[in-house]
Amino acid sequence: MAVQEDIQIYRKRRILYTVLALMMLLFLGRLYQLQMIYSEEYGRKSEENSVRVITKEPVRGYMYDRNNTLVVDNRPSFSVTLMPYEFDKNTIGFLARTLALDTALIQERLRTGEHYSRFAPVKIKRDIDFRELSALEENRDRLPGVDFQVESKRVYTTPAHATHILGYTKEISESQIKSFGGDYTQGDVVGSSGLEGGYEHSLRGEKGAEFSTVNVRGQVVGGFESGKLDVQAVDGNDLILTMDFGLQSFAESLMTGRRGAVVAIDPRNGELLAMVSAPDYDLSVFSGVTPPQIWNSMNADPSKPLFNRATLTRYPPGSTFKMVLAIAALESKTVTPSWRVSCSGAFRFGNKTFKDLHVHGSVDMITAIQQSCNVYFYQLMLKTGLDEWAHYGKELGFGMLTGIDVAEENPGLLPTTAFMNRRYGPSGWTRGFLPSLGIGQGELGVTPLQMACYAMVLANWGEYHQPHAVRAVVQKDVRRVDTLAFQSRRTSISIDTWAIVREGMRRAVEHPGGTGGLARIKGIEVAGKTGTAQNPHGPDHAWFVGFAPYEDPRIAIAVLVENAGFGGSHAAPIAGMCMERYLYGYLIRNTPSPSAPHPAIAGRQTVAVPLASEER
Amino acid sequence: MIEFLKRHFDLQIGVSTLLLALIGLVSVYSATYDARASEIFFKQLTWILAGTAVMLVIAFLPFRFMQSISYPTYLLSILMLVIVLLLGKTVSGSTSWFNLGSFRIQPSEFAKITTVLALASYLSRSDVSLRSRRGLIMTAGIVLLPVALIMMQPDFGTAVIYGGMSFAMLYWGGASRFTLIAVVAPFAAALAALLGTTAFLIVIAVFGVLIYVTREHLLVAAVVFSLMVLIGISVQFIYDGLRPYQQKRIDTFLDPGADPLGAGYNILQSKVAIGSGGLIGKGYLHGSQTQLNFIPEQWTDFIFCVPGEEFGFLGAATVLFLFTVLLARGITLSAMVKSRYGSYVAVGLSAILATHVFVNIGMALGLFPVIGVPLPFLSYGGSALLTSMTIVGILMNLYTNRKEY
Repeated sequence: MAVQEDIQIYRKRRILYTVLALMMLLFLGRLYQLQMIYSEEYGRKSEENSVRVITKEPVRGYMYDRNNTLVVDNRPSFSVTLMPYEFDKNTIGFLARTLALDTALIQERLRTGEHYSRFAPVKIKRDIDFRELSALEENRDRLPGVDFQVESKRVYTTPAHATHILGYTKEISESQIKSFGGDYTQGDVVGSSGLEGGYEHSLRGEKGAEFSTVNVRGQVVGGFESGKLDVQAVDGNDLILTMDFGLQSFAESLMTGRRGAVVAIDPRNGELLAMVSAPDYDLSVFSGVTPPQIWNSMNADPSKPLFNRATLTRYPPGSTFKMVLAIAALESKTVTPSWRVSCSGAFRFGNKTFKDLHVHGSVDMITAIQQSCNVYFYQLMLKTGLDEWAHYGKELGFGMLTGIDVAEENPGLLPTTAFMNRRYGPSGWTRGFLPSLGIGQGELGVTPLQMACYAMVLANWGEYHQPHAVRAVVQKDVRRVDTLAFQSRRTSISIDTWAIVREGMRRAVEHPGGTGGLARIKGIEVAGKTGTAQNPHGPDHAWFVGFAPYEDPRIAIAVLVENAGFGGSHAAPIAGMCMERYLYGYLIRNTPSPSAPHPAIAGRQTVAVPLASEER
Repeated sequence: MIEFLKRHFDLQIGVSTLLLALIGLVSVYSATYDARASEIFFKQLTWILAGTAVMLVIAFLPFRFMQSISYPTYLLSILMLVIVLLLGKTVSGSTSWFNLGSFRIQPSEFAKITTVLALASYLSRSDVSLRSRRGLIMTAGIVLLPVALIMMQPDFGTAVIYGGMSFAMLYWGGASRFTLIAVVAPFAAALAALLGTTAFLIVIAVFGVLIYVTREHLLVAAVVFSLMVLIGISVQFIYDGLRPYQQKRIDTFLDPGADPLGAGYNILQSKVAIGSGGLIGKGYLHGSQTQLNFIPEQWTDFIFCVPGEEFGFLGAATVLFLFTVLLARGITLSAMVKSRYGSYVAVGLSAILATHVFVNIGMALGLFPVIGVPLPFLSYGGSALLTSMTIVGILMNLYTNRKEY
């Protein structure tokens, strides 16, 4: 080779050496980075890799009612799981046939499961029956990656449904996993409504973990650091409810075949005694796997069994709302209790005629409440004015959430001048709207729960307690019972005013000529008010609010029966029987010889009530 | 005795090769160890022994004889590539094997060597210049014929090896800067196009300037430039036409963290294995990543993780050192041999080994995309091992005959 070419060759050789050296230095630098700088991090990762965490499911908390009766229990159920890494996709068809599942569903589960981790089992079917369990057990060798997990499912031990208050649990959705955070994973069961939803964090408990060393096929090859890192599952906390499941079950039986709600509260502390939303359904439908067709048919049912009427429905309260106006008029000194109106059976205002059911003659306030005279309240509303009325409505808890711990609720609607201006424009509405509002009709919405709280405040001379269904949370692991604290407030309304409206309510039930006579209970004085809410879409809704015993109330109640007609005929008897059942412990009207009053009301304290003796 | 050996036998190449093969054997033993030595280990041992025999036979073949069979073996390997396409056996989406008795042969492995020999034969002719159009076209023909057949299998890894090898031989043969840039340009354009429009435009601009500056003929430069732009633009269509596993490999290369349990799994596990090895490693047969088989088929393309995990930085650096010795010796040899043919062969074969090493280790370290290329001498596999041993045999032969013209 020529000299020229030799020089060329050496130059090229030097460049090739340089390329080689640079590449090797790059690799050496990378090795240094991985093995010297980040080696701890990778070491941790490699441990995580070969150590499998087996989740230990906690037992969901139990629920007891106020008499310590176990009302929500757990029972074991088997779920089938798949580990994506081990699973042989050729066996999908066989697995689908064995479990009576859709192959597409299994594929979908597998796909979303792989998205999380190829080593984490995904549940494909919950609560399998014994036949499916044994079929899988027999074919275990043919189905790599298929396993079972023992879980608990809810069992309801009393005849009461208590559907909407207890709520149901459901398999967690992907969006819930994201929003809940924590240790929720696919296939977990999560409280979705009612107490199951509201007290999810208490009921759920904490997952435990058991560590074991596995090979890449997921086969356990031993423990890990002799179990030092294992975490025991912490079972969920139990709930002690304020509910009386005897009353709940009884109220449900009264509402069977009807649509509406019953809400009963202990007025002394705001404890919920019963909450019925009819129609309801048996919660155990949801405790295992809910077939989609059942879910769909419930969703499509025009009577809306999934809908909690007790806290979500919003109807005008009808005449039950008259005490609000009476209170507003007295407190604002618009009238005195002795102010009288002469009722001719109708009231003309502008070019409109507002009707009454009867000709009541000359009535004062107590009589107007007792007989539910509309003409009296039409005129009283015009005198008192919208904002004064709305102010006291608000003080009594209308137009806002009650803050109940059970479930979602509707705040209702309590119109004010500002609201009406917003809605119709300042000149779009007139005082002609007012007479209807005065008798609880028109643009006014309340929930049965709000009505029960209203009954509680009336029973209590103005003491308002936040309604609630849970009395205490039992932390089993530390043997501690946390009694929950709820807020109370006192309204600004004076004793004299309370005395007037309470007396009106007492007479409405106890006196002849009162509209609520069907709520009477033998041996116990009851106070109440009926209501009949006009319904442009069909028959009127029947309302009743009341409390008993009059002197020392132990139960406050609101009853709504949709499309039933008069409140006095359809709602009052239900309320009366519920209160009787609660106060006596059984229905005395069905027993031949009603004996002495129930011990529960025997030694009651008499509260000095001004005007209470002023009976006419 | 030692003097004789030194004169007739390249000790640097021989010793580093044998040490690498030994490390490979030890690594394969560990990677496939399951309470006892695996069948794979014994197969690898057999291949190493057979490969060493082949290496020694080739090392002592008459120099002229080797050169004389360059073209015939090239044609034979082309024929085998055609046959494998017609009646080959499909393994993981790629038709590159065929059975010869009980052996599975991968013709694309041997075709790498025969292409180097044929190209070296052609380029060493005194009337051939890489500055002439005829020379360039013939060179392109010799290289692209097997590449086209291999791409039809398709085997992207082997195609990349051909790229590295031909670039080195063109450079060694004195091809113009323009030619070298024109060879690299389409690859750069394709890669940049995958990364995004901005990257693509930058690369187009840079190479446009380079092509313009180094141009000899404006028309040719324009054609090369348009070809490059065209390839870049059509990359999306090519990508869509790729097999899903190849698409995944490209996706994973661009963003390895995107899908740690899917396509990025191997890279991640490989980095974890190597990183967790630390300075001195977890000890032989004690690497949890290796022993618990977290890296699928680790004994083939990801064998580098075994020394990395079980012997740590020291083990991995030793492997790098041995490869450096071997490859540097290949370069030295290219300048040392008197025969032009021998010089080209040395460069081409060294480039084949170097590309394998760069691509494979770069992949194991998470620096380069996952391209299915074995690590010479270490990875399990008969064809690959025989190829590497043959390459070493030829390099030894060149050393022995370094003074021949």
